[in-house]
Amino acid sequence: MSQTRKQLLTDPLVDNNPITLQVLGICSALAVTSSLNVAFVMSLAVIAVCGFSSLFISFLRHYIPNSIRIIVQMVIIASLVILVDQIIKAYAYEISKTLSVFVGLIITNCIVMGRAEAFAMKNKPFESFVDGVGNGLGYSLLLMSVGVIRELFGSGSLFGVMIFDPVSNGGWYVPNGLLLLPPSAFFIIGFIIWGVRTWKKSQVEAREYKIQTLKEH
Amino acid sequence: MSLRNYFHSLEPHFEKGGKYEKYYPLFEMVETIFFTSNTVTKVAPHARSFVDMKRVMTYVVISTIPCILWALYNTGLQTNSALATVGVEAQSGWRISLLQFTGLGISPESLVSNIFHGLLYFLPIYLTTLIAGGICEVTFATIRGHEVNEGFLVSSMLFALTLPASTPLWQVALGIAFGVVVGKEVFGGTGKNFLNPALTGRAFLYFAYPAYMSGDSIWTPVDGYSGATSLGIAAAEGYESLSNYGITWTDAFLGTIQGSLGETSTLACAIGLVFLLLTRIANYRMVVGCLLGMIIFSSFLNWVGSDTNPMFSMPWYWHLVIGSYAFGLVFMVTEPVSGSHTNLGRYIYGALIGFMVIMIRVLNPAFPEGMMLAILFGNIFAPLIDHFVVMANIKRRTKFNVQTQ
Amino acid sequence: MSKPNDILTKFKNMPVDGMTKTIIVAITLCLVCSMVVSFAAVNLKEVQEVNKAVDKQKNILQVAGLYYEGIDVKKSFSSFEPIVVDLNQGKFTNRFDPLSFDDRKAAEDPQLSISLKEDPASIGRRTNFATVYLLKKDDGSLDKIILPIHGYGLWSTLYGFIALEKNGNDIFGLQFYQHAETPGLGAEVDNPKWKAQWKGKKLNNDSGELMITVAKTQKYKEHHIDALAGATLTSNGVDNLVKFWMGEAGFKKFLTNLQNGEA
Repeated sequence: MSQTRKQLLTDPLVDNNPITLQVLGICSALAVTSSLNVAFVMSLAVIAVCGFSSLFISFLRHYIPNSIRIIVQMVIIASLVILVDQIIKAYAYEISKTLSVFVGLIITNCIVMGRAEAFAMKNKPFESFVDGVGNGLGYSLLLMSVGVIRELFGSGSLFGVMIFDPVSNGGWYVPNGLLLLPPSAFFIIGFIIWGVRTWKKSQVEAREYKIQTLKEH
Repeated sequence: MSLRNYFHSLEPHFEKGGKYEKYYPLFEMVETIFFTSNTVTKVAPHARSFVDMKRVMTYVVISTIPCILWALYNTGLQTNSALATVGVEAQSGWRISLLQFTGLGISPESLVSNIFHGLLYFLPIYLTTLIAGGICEVTFATIRGHEVNEGFLVSSMLFALTLPASTPLWQVALGIAFGVVVGKEVFGGTGKNFLNPALTGRAFLYFAYPAYMSGDSIWTPVDGYSGATSLGIAAAEGYESLSNYGITWTDAFLGTIQGSLGETSTLACAIGLVFLLLTRIANYRMVVGCLLGMIIFSSFLNWVGSDTNPMFSMPWYWHLVIGSYAFGLVFMVTEPVSGSHTNLGRYIYGALIGFMVIMIRVLNPAFPEGMMLAILFGNIFAPLIDHFVVMANIKRRTKFNVQTQ
Repeated sequence: MSKPNDILTKFKNMPVDGMTKTIIVAITLCLVCSMVVSFAAVNLKEVQEVNKAVDKQKNILQVAGLYYEGIDVKKSFSSFEPIVVDLNQGKFTNRFDPLSFDDRKAAEDPQLSISLKEDPASIGRRTNFATVYLLKKDDGSLDKIILPIHGYGLWSTLYGFIALEKNGNDIFGLQFYQHAETPGLGAEVDNPKWKAQWKGKKLNNDSGELMITVAKTQKYKEHHIDALAGATLTSNGVDNLVKFWMGEAGFKKFLTNLQNGEA
């Protein structure tokens, strides 16, 4: 793969992560990260939808009339999402019960729409596909990180395999109930953004205003 | 060389350009423990008031003294009484051994035994709060280059007083760390926090370890002794049946009931409130607003009535004395930083909290206690309330000007 | 007559934002997408239906204590006999096919259900007909009775099964397969340790009164289930729904008839 294509794939992981830098797609990140199994399937779904929607939209980019381009993008994305939803229901029934509406809500995930509009409409199919997959991977990376924290400290397990033996089972670990509730993902994503921006100073946004200190008399 | 001179001789090393410039906050903290600092605080929140922050914070700590003393006595009293019921023989632990070793014994009638036993619960919790919270505070102060703030002493004391005596110490440490970091430091430190740090930490524990903290079963730290808190009983069977459990209104007012360390006594809180109002630290408008909101809404619910929910009929004077209403009203609602800053806004802010407490206590089936959540809710709305009050003022004045011209 | 190639060229040469092209693109896209979607839906439907059925059977196997990882659900389930019960009569009925009868739909149908005046389980309407599952031994004799139960907890309706020994009084197990209670508190109804308490408890006392209780304090050991810590309302909900379904308005008549061989 050429250098630029490689960048298309790796840039969204940290340097241009759709969640930590652009703060998109938060809703599903809150809802599906309490267990890793679910987060993993959701990640795959988003990678697939994001990659293929970019691919198809890029194929059609010369034929899409400007006046209905958003609708056309939506139709393509929505069809892919339904396809993915049906497949998950057929082959991963247990997980589809926990994912419930959130697969359907990938349609409204700003990341997918954003890549279609910002990249796929202006670039060649293969690059668009790589870009879509890259952004899907960036989303997945964050989803999995949040999932690891929430499942490990919230239920004491990873991928359903017990790591810390919880008290209710006769073990020593007292699970942190807050992490099982969706709002905890807000804190975790916040902390991750904080960490990433401490590491990569260039991501820090400019201050909107500065608090003035009065001079001492 | 006196200690004072010693500090002065050290100071240049820590000031700008000195060898240990980075550790100035640490130096400043240690120095102010021994001496009144030469400098006064330079930043908010005292910018809106005439007194400097150090004095404000000291006064608040002083005002908690009645609650602390009561916390010591009542924790000991409850534990000793529970031990007397369950039987001391079945229990073990370093506290009991120590009490028996020192000859104080375990008797709910003995004042000294009660206070000493309470101290053995309060002290570890408070020390853990100071150490864990202190580490976070100092770390941030060092990195950010601001001073370790006296506000921390207040937050840590209030946090400790809101905890049940049976809280495991690791939970205490986790809670205060969360409170200090998320409730305060991420927003820029004391004076810039829009949530009350002590309550943020308490809320974290409430949601993280609800089986320990949710407030429907009691917190007396004795194995094999269980029962419901006064709010739990009231929610399940109605406040009238509290007397079946030996709880009269006077008991609840004085605070000889089970509950979090410093929250049981309405009387002790009231003494603190009088002190805070006299010294003008607490703004009476918030207190009035909060009382009115609570009284009006609970009376309204009394009037509405309900066949299935006994909490509807609980009168306001019971709401006042059980749970953490009084403690929250005195020490949390009146906190100047996270509350409203306009005078009209303070009434509204107080009333909103008073209303929300009753709302959560009576109408929400999941949580028997609502004060903490209500105050955090009020904190979030405080800036919005201020905004509208200011806007209304501007509008009124423009109108006034047009008419007089 | 124009050749297909000409149409394509014509289409390509159209102005991108023209009305004709816009409509053509919109219609073509909709057709293609709807075909893809319906093709997937139709083809996968069978697999999904099987999944749903297997999931329900799995829950029944679990409550009967027969489930383990990697079991052939379909095969093991063949030892169960699903059968529809008329709750008012307390007798089996063959009005419906037990394989396709849906209790939940029946509860919404005024013809097949009654509106409850006394409604401790907060379910609104109760179906007159419920599908029960009888676990048979190899020799064909009755081993366990699996009854569907549901009722309101704190945030949601809990749906589950209760398994009884063949005497219709000893509880073998209880399992909820659908609920949305608070994780860590009410959701502990799924905790194996809590569920294990149900085994061996008795529904009724010797004089036939319904005694089973979920409570904090224990009154009668053989009828007592410990309430969940910190989840009073979910525990009360479970208490109510078990009492309701095991009571006169629920399966009591059927269980009595079954013992007397009159079902």
